[in-house]
Amino acid sequence: MAKTLVDSRGTACPGPITDLLRAYRKASNGDVIELLATDPGVKADAKAWCQRTNNEVLSTVEKNGVITVEIKIMGKKG
Amino acid sequence: MKNVAVVGGGAGGLIFANTLAKEMSEDIQSGKMKIRIFDGSIYHEFQPGYLAVAFRGRDPESLRRYLSGLVLPGVELVPENCSKVDIDNRFVVTEKTGKKFEFDEVVIATGSKPDYSQIPGLSQANHDFHSSARASADAYKRLQKVRWGKVVTGIAGVPYKCPPSPNESAFMLDEFFVRRKLRNEVKVTFLTPYLRSYSNETVNSIIEPIYKERNIEIITSFNLESVDPEKELLVSMEGDTLPYDTLFLVPPHTGAAIFKGEEYADSDGWIKTDKYDLHVTDHDYAFAIGDATNLPISKAGVEAHLEAIVVANNIVSEMNGSSDRYEFTGRLQCSMETGFHQATFVVGTYDKPIERIQPSFYNYMQKKLMERIYWASLKGGYEWLFRWHFGEDYYRKTTRQRPPAQSPKVQNI
Repeated sequence: MAKTLVDSRGTACPGPITDLLRAYRKASNGDVIELLATDPGVKADAKAWCQRTNNEVLSTVEKNGVITVEIKIMGKKG
Repeated sequence: MKNVAVVGGGAGGLIFANTLAKEMSEDIQSGKMKIRIFDGSIYHEFQPGYLAVAFRGRDPESLRRYLSGLVLPGVELVPENCSKVDIDNRFVVTEKTGKKFEFDEVVIATGSKPDYSQIPGLSQANHDFHSSARASADAYKRLQKVRWGKVVTGIAGVPYKCPPSPNESAFMLDEFFVRRKLRNEVKVTFLTPYLRSYSNETVNSIIEPIYKERNIEIITSFNLESVDPEKELLVSMEGDTLPYDTLFLVPPHTGAAIFKGEEYADSDGWIKTDKYDLHVTDHDYAFAIGDATNLPISKAGVEAHLEAIVVANNIVSEMNGSSDRYEFTGRLQCSMETGFHQATFVVGTYDKPIERIQPSFYNYMQKKLMERIYWASLKGGYEWLFRWHFGEDYYRKTTRQRPPAQSPKVQNI
């Protein structure tokens, strides 16, 4: 059960989802990825990505222009 | 004497070294400056041409030039890769002969490379149109044999260079089979780990209708974990499977292996780089440009080009005693061919969102023009054209100055 911080602040195209995908490849079920981003599109994208990949958004917090999305990895096959 | 080391002789390294050599020719002749490029490659390849080799049967040799013929007088080509870049102590060590070269400034331009080790089975199953002219020619040989079945193209993993190229491959495959009157027998599928056909919604909104119009299937959010070449099956991290008959995927990329474990690189070997003046984080006299960086932008030739211009101009200004300094704007200009002589561009900067550019024949011709001027541009030719084309995005003036040079921390290897 590891927690990984992915700092995507300042990224635009191709966006924080690229950094999330990189972290996801190394993660295991039960791990939490904390994604920091300034691209407002990350909120909808992270939610949609989790729905499609069977992972879970634990929280989405926006403070001082920085969006923090906590994602629990639970969609990987056993 | 100022020693400038350029690690890597790709587009970024060449444009940087040649631009500097042009501007500082008197200093080089008088022995005040020395520029060395370190690269063990014999050839330099025009990488955007790989698609035409793989999907149109273009001669792979037409994409190649001898690297030695692409450096201007005043630049020394050391025909070896580096096994170490010690930024603190300011020296590089060459891979084969183990020679040590000291430097005052270093520019890391080692690019990126495919990393098949991340996805078991991929290297055995894949026909790689993205990594070399020779591999693309092999992919075309395979393509010519396809008469029916399911052809899967797209993105096997991230990051990868030239973001539009997987989409281009889908459109060019469609064109190939239409022209061969085999399109009804061949299903073309585009696979991506992203949520949409292109990661950016503006670009996606332009190209997704083309996918539908051409009957190209899009499968999104597919995180490829492995490939079973025997069963011809793609397996996702979530356990989904997708059968294929022929595979043309872009593998995930990684930075140069020599940087893994260095404090100035991240865990995948990408160099931690300032997004504006491109110095290596915490090192004012080391720079990184092109694919080798961890910058939050596409890995593509135009970025390497504009970054090389920024770093070269800053060094020239400083040596000439000028206070002018320049910053990279994050300008993207990635062409995306949509087939049948049409193309769009992915254009934006750090501050400007991606523009909406409809595919057109004019855009396609712009892409072709770039190919015509590419070799000259590596030597600093047509820079006036790039400067005019990119306008205020070419670079941005800044007042930011770097601190005075300090002596190397330690003198011994």
